[in-house]
Amino acid sequence: MDDKLRDDLLQLFRSKLNEAMTFYLETCTRCGVCVEACHAYASMGQVRYIAAYRAEIIRRIYKKYFKSQGRAWASLGESKELSEMALDELYDAAYSCTGCRRCMVYCPFGIDTQMLMSIAKLLLIGADAEPEILTLLADTSIEKGKSIDLFKEGFMKGVKSLDKKVIEHWQLEAGETVIPVDVKGADLLYVALAGAHSIIPAAAVFNAAGEKWSLSFFEAVNFGAFVGDPIRTKQILDRIISEAKRLNVKEVCICECGTAYRVMKQLSGRQPFKVSSITEVHARYIKEGRIKLDKSKVTGTVVYHDPCQIARNGGVMDEPRYILRHLTDNYLEMTPDPTYNWCCGGGGGLVALGEETLDFRMKSARVKADQVKGTGAAILSTACENCHTQLDNLNDHYKLGCKVRFLSSMVADALIQ
Amino acid sequence: MQSIYYFVLVPMVYIAFSIFAVGTTFRLINIFRQPKHPTTLQIYPEKTPRWLWALHDTFLFPTVRRHKPMLWCFLITFHICLLLLLIGHIELLGEFKVFQVIPHQVFIGQGFVGLIVAICLLYFLFRRFLSPVRELSVAEDYYLLILLLLIVIFGSEMDWARRWYEYGELDTEDYQAYLWSLLTFRPVLPDNVIYSGHSFMLVLHVFFANLFLIFFPFSQAMHSFLSLPMNKLRRG
Repeated sequence: MDDKLRDDLLQLFRSKLNEAMTFYLETCTRCGVCVEACHAYASMGQVRYIAAYRAEIIRRIYKKYFKSQGRAWASLGESKELSEMALDELYDAAYSCTGCRRCMVYCPFGIDTQMLMSIAKLLLIGADAEPEILTLLADTSIEKGKSIDLFKEGFMKGVKSLDKKVIEHWQLEAGETVIPVDVKGADLLYVALAGAHSIIPAAAVFNAAGEKWSLSFFEAVNFGAFVGDPIRTKQILDRIISEAKRLNVKEVCICECGTAYRVMKQLSGRQPFKVSSITEVHARYIKEGRIKLDKSKVTGTVVYHDPCQIARNGGVMDEPRYILRHLTDNYLEMTPDPTYNWCCGGGGGLVALGEETLDFRMKSARVKADQVKGTGAAILSTACENCHTQLDNLNDHYKLGCKVRFLSSMVADALIQ
Repeated sequence: MQSIYYFVLVPMVYIAFSIFAVGTTFRLINIFRQPKHPTTLQIYPEKTPRWLWALHDTFLFPTVRRHKPMLWCFLITFHICLLLLLIGHIELLGEFKVFQVIPHQVFIGQGFVGLIVAICLLYFLFRRFLSPVRELSVAEDYYLLILLLLIVIFGSEMDWARRWYEYGELDTEDYQAYLWSLLTFRPVLPDNVIYSGHSFMLVLHVFFANLFLIFFPFSQAMHSFLSLPMNKLRRG
C-alpha cells in the first residue's frame, strides 16, 4: 500500500472519530463477556467472530495512528500498520458482522460493534475493496432519485398491473384508486421495496383501513448503509425525505425492511412527518378497529423472528406480538427476551450479496436454525426482507420444515371484508 | 540506596500524580470535546429514567451477572474492595468521621480487603491465560493486572504484618506523617518509613503505584471514567 492511499484511508478513519466512536475505541477491557454474543461465533466457534476480536482489528490501527500509546510502545496494545493484509482482515471482520448489535447487550460498557465496523467498511470503500455490487446498487438508487421523470411512466404502468392482485385481498368501490401514487396531501407515504410482494399486501391493508395514502416512487432499501458509505446513505435517504415533504404527508411508513426503517427513523433528523414501520401501522389499525382479521386463515403454530434493526435497535417489539395475537391463538415466543433474539445471519448487506455469502450465511446462522427448530413452529413470521430471505435459505438448508412468511402478508390474507 | 528510596517516595510520587492528573484531564477533554454522534445508539426496550439505568449498568454490571456470573462475583468484589482500599488511603491522610460510621482501625477490613483483591486479580490474570479470552487479550491487559497485583501484594503485606504478625515498627501514624507531608508539599520521610525492616515493602508499593498512575491515562483503565457515558449512550 502506498503512502498516499494510506494517508487517504487515515483521513477517512479520522472522519469517523466522534465522541461515541472514541469511547468505543478507548474502553474495551477485553473481558470476554461478549464471547457468546455473536451468532457467527456461537455457530462456528472461530475466535475471529467474537465481537471484541473484530473490534480489536479496528482498534489496533487506531492505536498505531491516533494514540500516543501505540506510537510510543507499539507492542503494548499490539498496534498495527494499515496495510493490504490489514484490509483483508478488515473485510473479513466487516462482512461477517451483520450489525445486529447483540454483542452490545452483552458488553458491560455497551460497545457498539456495528459502529466500529462502519470504520472498516468506509476504509474498504476508500481502498476500492468493498463489495462492488453494493456500491453499484447504491448508485442506481441515487441515480433514480436524480432522474425521476425517466422512469415515472414505467413505474406507474408496473404499479397499475398489481391492481388485480390487491383487489383479491380487498375489494374497493368502482372508481377508487387501488394503488395511489404521487398524492399531494396524503396522510401517509408508504415506502416499499422493488417487488410486488412488498406492495400488494400493504396496499390491501391501507385500502381496508381507509387510509389516505400514497406509494413512494422510491424503494426503501438503503444500499449505502449496507456498504457503510455515509454520503450515499444520506443521498438515498434524502430522495424519500424530499418526496415526503413535496407531498406534505403526515407520516412516512417504511415497509418490512429493517435497515430502511432504522435509517429513516434514526438518521432523518427532525422532520415535519413521523416515521413508522408497517408493523406499527398495522397494529394501530387493529387497535383502532380500522381492520378486522380472521383467525381461521392462519393454521399451525406461529413464531415471530424479531428483525434486529426493527426490534433491538428500533424498539418495535410489542406491535408484532399484538398483531399476531389477532391472527392466531397458536403464537409461541421464540425467545424469552426479544432483546437477546439471535440475528438471522443475513443483515449488514450479506443477503444483498446473494450467492457469494450463502455458504457463510448458512454456517454462521446454525444457532438461529436450531432456535427455530426448537420451537417446532409451522409458520415462521418476520417483518424484514433480509431476514425473510435468510430465514427462507435456512429453512431449505437445515430442513426446518416451516413456512417463512411476512407478517404484513399474513395480515392482508386475513382481512375480513 | 537512601537516594533511591527518596526518589521513589517523594519526587516520583509528584511526577506520577501530575502525569495521572494532567494526562487523564487532557485525554478526557479531548474525548468529550469531539462532536456527538448524530443519531441515537440506544438498545431497546427503553427504560426510564435513563440516567438511573445507566448508573445501574455502570456500577452493578448487570450484563456480566447475566452472562458470566462467576466473573461478576469477582468483578463486583474487586471493585468494592478497590473502593475500600481507596477509603483506607484517604484515612491515612487524617481522620474522617464519615468513614468511621462503622468504627474500625485503618485500614478497613483487618487486612482481608487486600487479600481479596489479590485473589480477584489472580483470577482475572489466570482467566486471560485461557482461550478464548487469551486470544482477545493484548500485552497491556496482562501488564495492568500484574502491576495491580504487585501494588496490592506489597501494600497489603504492610497491613498484614501489623495485623496478623504484630509487627509494630511501622504503624499508621508514620504513614500519616509521610502522606500528609507530601500533600502539603513539605515532604519529610520519618525514620521509620525508610529505616524500618519493612521499608522496602513501602518503597516497592509506592514504586508500582507510581507506575500505575503514570500508565493510567494511556491505558484501558480509562474505562473507569468512560463507562458511565457509554452506558448512557446504550440507554439512550
